[in-house]
Amino acid sequence: MNNTVIDVHNISRVYNPDTIPVYAVNNVHLHLQRGEFTALVGPSGSGKTTLLNMIGGLDKPDAGTIIINGMNITELSPRELVDFRLHNIGFVFQSYNLIPVLTAKENVEFIMLLQGKSKQERDQRVQQLFKEIGMEDKLNVRPAQLSSGQQQRVAVARALASKPQFILADEPTANLDSKSAANLLDIMALLNADENITFLFSTHDQRVINRARRVITLVDGKIASDTAAVDISQPHKFETV
Amino acid sequence: MVLRMAWRNIWRNKMRSLVIMFSIATGLLAGIAVLSLYDAMMNSRVRTVIDSEVAHIQLHHTNFKKDYDPKYVIANGDDVLQAIKKMPQVKAATARSITTGMLATATGSAGVTINGIIPEEEYKVSQLKQKLTAGKLFDENKKSQVMIGKKLAVKMKLKPGSKLVLTFTDTSGAIVSAAFRVAAIYESANAPLDERNVYVRMNELNELLLSNASFHEIAVLLSKDETLKTVQQNMQQLFPSVLVESWKDISPETDLMVDTVDQYSYIIMIIIMLALAFGIINTMLMAILERTREIGMMMALGTNRSKLFILVLCETLLLTLAGTPIGVLMGWLLTAYFHTKGLDLSGWGKEMMSNFGFGTMIYPEFPAERLPAVLLIVTATALVSCLFPAVKALKLQPVEALRR
Ligand SMILES: Nc1ncnc2c1ncn2[C@@H]1O[C@H](COP(=O)(O)OP(=O)(O)O)[C@@H](O)[C@H]1O
Ligand SMILES: [Mg+2]
Repeated sequence: MNNTVIDVHNISRVYNPDTIPVYAVNNVHLHLQRGEFTALVGPSGSGKTTLLNMIGGLDKPDAGTIIINGMNITELSPRELVDFRLHNIGFVFQSYNLIPVLTAKENVEFIMLLQGKSKQERDQRVQQLFKEIGMEDKLNVRPAQLSSGQQQRVAVARALASKPQFILADEPTANLDSKSAANLLDIMALLNADENITFLFSTHDQRVINRARRVITLVDGKIASDTAAVDISQPHKFETV
Repeated sequence: MVLRMAWRNIWRNKMRSLVIMFSIATGLLAGIAVLSLYDAMMNSRVRTVIDSEVAHIQLHHTNFKKDYDPKYVIANGDDVLQAIKKMPQVKAATARSITTGMLATATGSAGVTINGIIPEEEYKVSQLKQKLTAGKLFDENKKSQVMIGKKLAVKMKLKPGSKLVLTFTDTSGAIVSAAFRVAAIYESANAPLDERNVYVRMNELNELLLSNASFHEIAVLLSKDETLKTVQQNMQQLFPSVLVESWKDISPETDLMVDTVDQYSYIIMIIIMLALAFGIINTMLMAILERTREIGMMMALGTNRSKLFILVLCETLLLTLAGTPIGVLMGWLLTAYFHTKGLDLSGWGKEMMSNFGFGTMIYPEFPAERLPAVLLIVTATALVSCLFPAVKALKLQPVEALRR
């Protein structure tokens, strides 16, 4: 069985091609196996967000193809992409992840409602996910009453709720203090280990980078280094923050 | 969930939602006020036409109204009148002998229509009794009495007791003149009619006209407005040789005015609705722009456009639903107040109003029949005007929205 989830073939993204072209992502080639826990690192403006957006089907490359789980998403129409995102990808953004008028529980349920899951299935999954993120007592709290760290944990739970192929997290710890950041990483790593969830997250926080099993470094839209496909069958020791 | 989100979104910015709710309520209130005011004015006008000018139905000799030649009396008038009085839908009916002529005093003269009436019966049909402003009713012991309209009285400087001469042609073609004494002065809502019509006793007029015991006109008042058409048709069948006309035939301008004002009231509604639409577009647009990132995030997660569209629509619909009862209630209170107190329009110019045949006191009623139409218009306006903000929300690109 082919275990490649993300298969990126020489993609490029150019902003302002007519004036001063910005090669935000420049000829990137990349493969991710199921179950990987990968950090995308690089200074601000190196193209991390742009790359993640394209992999997530939010943006289209100007050249190259992206194949997710065997499907060429660069050929999908905008309408098809909405559906593709809903069923295949879990998103965690840097901030403003949650719908403010919905409670933590409803935010997680929301995605499953969009998928048309039954009430029973939703309730069961919500219980399980909130247990995993350690927030069973915060089910009915609105995002505004949660700390940034708690909000990001709920966002991770929501990303998982849809049972996606993988989770894309764009600087998920950028707005968190180091303790919350460590806590979030613990949860992500746990989910990766326990449920074999594939994570691709961008960061420029060295302590977060240390937790990754694979680190891809982006400089000026190009891959500068890649600790490369590690053997994921091997048990992995985390360094402590 | 969408409904729940819509509901909670409304309460995110209470002030703004209240503004929309209030605009919707005000729009409804204005709509109700305009409709009830116009309805009341038209009703009052129609009532005046029926109750004090034309009555529901008039019968004449087919040739009579061409030039009011007194020889065209209703054939077998008494039989016709008795038959009509027996019809169950008829409330009252009276005969009139009519001719045109000249009213002269020492100081001047004026063309008038001379109505020969049977006082007791006339009072029931045309409210002549209630219209008197000076003088007394016809007195059985006095002869040659005349009632004249206030406008004519002012113009001719006549008072109760004044003497005047009426001149007209009799059925043989000879010119007759007779002296009358003013018994009373009346005033109706319709000044031009007051200036034109004078009333004398029918038997006196008939004697002068040499057309004993016959008459030219039967005026019929019905118990219910709705039976007008059937009764008119029945009468025409019963008396095929007589011209049977309803007030709509006799006063087509009133009927036309009712229709026109109906249309005007809808035009005013449209103007009010345009103002409402701008308010809603503006406010909902603000609500959307404020939530750009949130909407972008929802789209990124895989919320399709139709769901977002429904969300915006639901928010507007909920606001409309909240605003509607308030508006209806305010409209109801307002019309109920003026319905009992009456609305005095004399500020608009009593003279002008009465020249057009309008009374100045009107009693607006809650336009219950037209309420569904008004509600529909307001709801449709609210929904249509949120389309623009909704489409704006759909046009957001998630990547750009999230970058903000
Ligand atoms: N919408 C845009 N229009 C023009 N330039 C952009 C746009 N988005 C990103 N860029 C540019 O592309 C480059 C990569 O940006 P980004 O992917 O956000 O990097 P990172 O997430 O690593 O900070 C930057 O130079 C940035 O200024
Ligand atoms: Mg970025």
